[in-house]
Amino acid sequence: MNMNNGIPLAQASALYRPDADIGSPPVLADPQALLNAFHPDYLGSSVTKLAVGANAGDSCQRELAGLLQAEAIIDEADLAGAPVTDIDVLVIGGGGAGCAAALAAAERGARVLLVTKLRLGDSNTVMAEGGIQVAIEPDDSIQRHIEDTLRGGHDIGNPELVAAMAEDGPDVIRWLIRAGMQFEQTASGDLHTRRAGGMNAARIVHCRDYTGLEMMRVLRESVIQHRAIEVWEQSPAVELLSNEDGRKCVGAVFKSLIDGRFRMVRTHSVILATGGVGRLHLNGFPTSNHLGATGDGLVLAYRIGACLRDLDSFQYHPTGLVYPPHLSGKLVTEGVRAAGAWMLNAAGQRFVDELLPRDIVSAAILRECQEGRCVRVDDGRVGVWLDTPRLERSQPGLLERQFPKLLARFRVSGVDPRHDPLLIHPTLHYQNGGVVIDVNGATTVPGLYAVGEVAGGIHGRNRIMGNALLEIISFGRRAGVAATAQRDRGPKKVTLEHVNRARRDLTLAGIPLTQAAPQILPDYAAKGIWNR
Amino acid sequence: MRAAYCTLNFFDFSHLTKTPMTTDGDNPQTINLTINGVAVAASAAMTLVEAAWHGGVPRVTAVSCLESVCGSCRVLLRRGKEVTVNLACQTFVEDGLEAVFLPPQPPPLHHYEISDFTDGWNIQARFHEIFPEASHCRNCHGCVLSCPKGIDVEGAIALAAAGHFRDAGEAFLECVMCELCDSACPELIAPAHVGLFCRRVTAHFHLRPPNLIYRLEEQRKEKMGLTGASHDEHE
Amino acid sequence: MESLNTILLHPDRRIGADMERWRKAGGGQALARAAVDPAAVREAIREADLRGLGGSGFPVWRKWDAVAAESPKPDKYLVVNGNEDEPGTYKDRLLLEETPHQVIEGALVAALATGANRVVFYVNPDLALSLAALKTAIELWQASELLDLASTALGRPLELTLLPGSGHYIGGEETAAMEWIEGRFPFPRGKPPYPAQVGVHGCPTLINNVETLAQVSHIVAHGAEWFRSLGKAPGTGTKLYSLSGDVLYPAVYELPMGTTLRELIFVHGGGLLSGKPLKAVFTGGPSCTLLAPVDLDVALDFDSLRARGGSLGTGAMIVISEGTGIVKRVAEYMRFFAHSSCGQCMSCKTGTATMSLLLDRIDTGRGTAADLATLENLCAMLPGTGRCHLITGVVQLLDSSFRHFKHEYRQALR
Repeated sequence: MNMNNGIPLAQASALYRPDADIGSPPVLADPQALLNAFHPDYLGSSVTKLAVGANAGDSCQRELAGLLQAEAIIDEADLAGAPVTDIDVLVIGGGGAGCAAALAAAERGARVLLVTKLRLGDSNTVMAEGGIQVAIEPDDSIQRHIEDTLRGGHDIGNPELVAAMAEDGPDVIRWLIRAGMQFEQTASGDLHTRRAGGMNAARIVHCRDYTGLEMMRVLRESVIQHRAIEVWEQSPAVELLSNEDGRKCVGAVFKSLIDGRFRMVRTHSVILATGGVGRLHLNGFPTSNHLGATGDGLVLAYRIGACLRDLDSFQYHPTGLVYPPHLSGKLVTEGVRAAGAWMLNAAGQRFVDELLPRDIVSAAILRECQEGRCVRVDDGRVGVWLDTPRLERSQPGLLERQFPKLLARFRVSGVDPRHDPLLIHPTLHYQNGGVVIDVNGATTVPGLYAVGEVAGGIHGRNRIMGNALLEIISFGRRAGVAATAQRDRGPKKVTLEHVNRARRDLTLAGIPLTQAAPQILPDYAAKGIWNR
Repeated sequence: MRAAYCTLNFFDFSHLTKTPMTTDGDNPQTINLTINGVAVAASAAMTLVEAAWHGGVPRVTAVSCLESVCGSCRVLLRRGKEVTVNLACQTFVEDGLEAVFLPPQPPPLHHYEISDFTDGWNIQARFHEIFPEASHCRNCHGCVLSCPKGIDVEGAIALAAAGHFRDAGEAFLECVMCELCDSACPELIAPAHVGLFCRRVTAHFHLRPPNLIYRLEEQRKEKMGLTGASHDEHE
Repeated sequence: MESLNTILLHPDRRIGADMERWRKAGGGQALARAAVDPAAVREAIREADLRGLGGSGFPVWRKWDAVAAESPKPDKYLVVNGNEDEPGTYKDRLLLEETPHQVIEGALVAALATGANRVVFYVNPDLALSLAALKTAIELWQASELLDLASTALGRPLELTLLPGSGHYIGGEETAAMEWIEGRFPFPRGKPPYPAQVGVHGCPTLINNVETLAQVSHIVAHGAEWFRSLGKAPGTGTKLYSLSGDVLYPAVYELPMGTTLRELIFVHGGGLLSGKPLKAVFTGGPSCTLLAPVDLDVALDFDSLRARGGSLGTGAMIVISEGTGIVKRVAEYMRFFAHSSCGQCMSCKTGTATMSLLLDRIDTGRGTAADLATLENLCAMLPGTGRCHLITGVVQLLDSSFRHFKHEYRQALR
């Protein structure tokens, strides 16, 4: 890393002009070449092949592979004396997908236990800004939505899953409105729709740029108020439980951050809704994700034998903040570019069409930074400009009307996006792949479901904006419903047999058992968390 | 193929230990404060969360989004004789500041399920049954002082008590449900939950978007086999 | 028992609202003297070292001199603070119910000494018997030539008003009382400005506790030296101790100021129930410090207790024996204070709410070491940060329970 890359911030700020004469960006002749050269997914040394498990032989991001092929963090002996709870449906994860699953299961009469690592609602969902996709405009259709999604994902998404999600769209919105979620309306009362990157129609519905917050607080309140749903907070899942042959999921083990004790839960169905992996800082990137996004569900699913997919594909969102430092990696919504904001390098020039798919735009920014046409802050971090002042000049009041969250975050820092351009750099944002599921959210392991970001097969190699919020509700509900249909006499034994199997496989493959997973929290935030 | 490492050199979290934005070569400033009783030496421009991590304060687990939208990192602060509350991720370190992370608020005592609401004419009556305390505000301003988002909580509660649910709910647009106002209310009104109730009933009863309903109708009819491919379904 | 109930609670004075009997027993002498020489009255109060007996222990003469020095704007107020609501304190209600006239006389003496023309009797609305007795007594005074005498001496009519309080504990705080008298919720105003300069409706205001004013009439009738001789130096005069808890004879005891805790509990109170050993005493009741068995021989006066790091407060002594759990008891009191916090100050409202939550958890087997650490951190952070004394007193209570009984807290953790 060249610590002297680019122009210092003060100098670049002095050079910046919101009214400079700027033309169109250069046309990108060979997008694939750009990706190959600069996008982290295409960096040879960032990818390896898995040696054990259901995806042995498949490509996987190197640091993630380390966790998927790591030792478990508990032993059977740790469970001595641990209290046991029996429940109909267990949901692991307290974000949008987890809450949707819990509510759907409870609606069907199940008793539900929702267990979350931190506080209910602590998730990536609550931070989502852009909105949720739904094909409701007259010039749009469900089929178009499906096609845009598959194309954005480089045509490797599962068409059946994509179709299910797109078809669910309108009913998902109705369900959310009934639960009490507000959306922006036009003067005629229609839902206001926006177009975003990779879409052929205006399809994003939203609540200002607080869509995730609006959704999460409504879902959270619904779950808290629901008499059939019990919630445990501050309780990370540390392992799943399997039946006597280690092939069926029959529950999970949790360790409380409050009292350090283990608790076991036995159930008919486990729904993993554990979210993303941003806080693993893959390839050394900052992240937009919340603190708990450490891929725990992915690790647990793999260990019990679930099939995963696209483990070498991660979305680096182009516009992650660089400054002020406490907001490092935090997202500026694509909606700002969709509204017309440009990106400028240190020379004050546009360098890529801002509304190309995210992976291409991110690769272009990384190119500018590596080739020195970037702006540098004091501690050596670099970025390019997102020209929000120019946007404000062309549409006065727009930022305050449509992007209050953007402005709110800067209030305490003395930076005003209406007057100061924002320094941005790609940020690790979304796990495109994940656990393989069917249209009911069922994984390849009986008894185990996966919904939301932890699941894969919908977004291919690149998610387009607004599909994440749709996916979590659509599949969350599907899994919640399907989970209630599971009624058998239960397992003969409740074991950690799958952990032993994984240990055996790892040892025989020559993989050292020096690393333990799941990670639970990133190292910098994990000081003394178990020391009660 | 070119190496494409992250250009931020983020890995060692070192950006937190450098002082940003001083162009005149000042020495890095050390700020001394106390978090959860632990003395911490932090750098300027750190938030309390970063300072807690940097200073090795143990057992800080009420942190999540780091951008003041999840409402988890509630802190009580003392500066001189003045005590305030805030979110740690949006509070910067200051010399002599004392901070304590607060335990989470217990679940609200007010129960309602929105699916039970069937009659839009009945909302005001139901509101006062569910939130009877809301009419007994004593105007202590505790809620206003406690809100890390600058919401006029007291004013919005008055609107809600008068039946202006839409406007009251709009005042709570930026509410992150940190529930600091709930801790601050001596009349036990639970203002954050009143605000959320107002937003929810507004959507539940009044949001009937024609474009959405049109599409739902199309889907319903298609499912029942009443139409073939309709005119706007061609691709 | 020649030192018990000799003055304020002398049997001859416990005759309720019967004004004639009260006068026959010597009532009215103090008022006659105050009508002649108000300055001498203030001097006597100073000489007697009378302290605020509602809990402050503040030298009464200082407040009187401050109010006397102000000019009316256009009135001067005297507020008789009978909003007694502190757990374990029940002396003021007793004085009002059984000896209203000595309180009223003391109030009028104070009014003359400081130039106050409006006297407000401000009483906890739940004290039905006290209110009834005082109401009758005031009506008798309003028909009596004694009041005319006082008005003439003052140079303007003396107006007496009976005002029930709002029912809120915080209404007992001086500036909160003033808010209520002015028709608003009793939020403490914070000082400065002090009531002596800016009080009810902006007028100079003297606020004194019921017991304090009851003592005034006797000091003025019999002299400062007499009063001093009644107490055990450095204490002067008598004190009403409200003794309650695990004792055989819980009651209000009038004894020399500076009586020892041992004498109060074992000579007068009949000792501990079931003969159980003494564990602790919540003084002042209870937002002050704990006393432990090692403190049995401390003199219960303001200065001696302050030297011990404690405070006398209202003179309430809530006795607990082995067999009472400290954590549970402190948790109970904390719930009371969290409920009573008026809501103005973040430190008090959120502070007491948080401490109550944590104590509750610890007491019910759900508390962790981290919860205890948070309580300790709050104790370090919160004193002195409220507009009134409530949060400071609450922290004192908690801190003092930590000092003596930390092991009980640790044992309660899971």
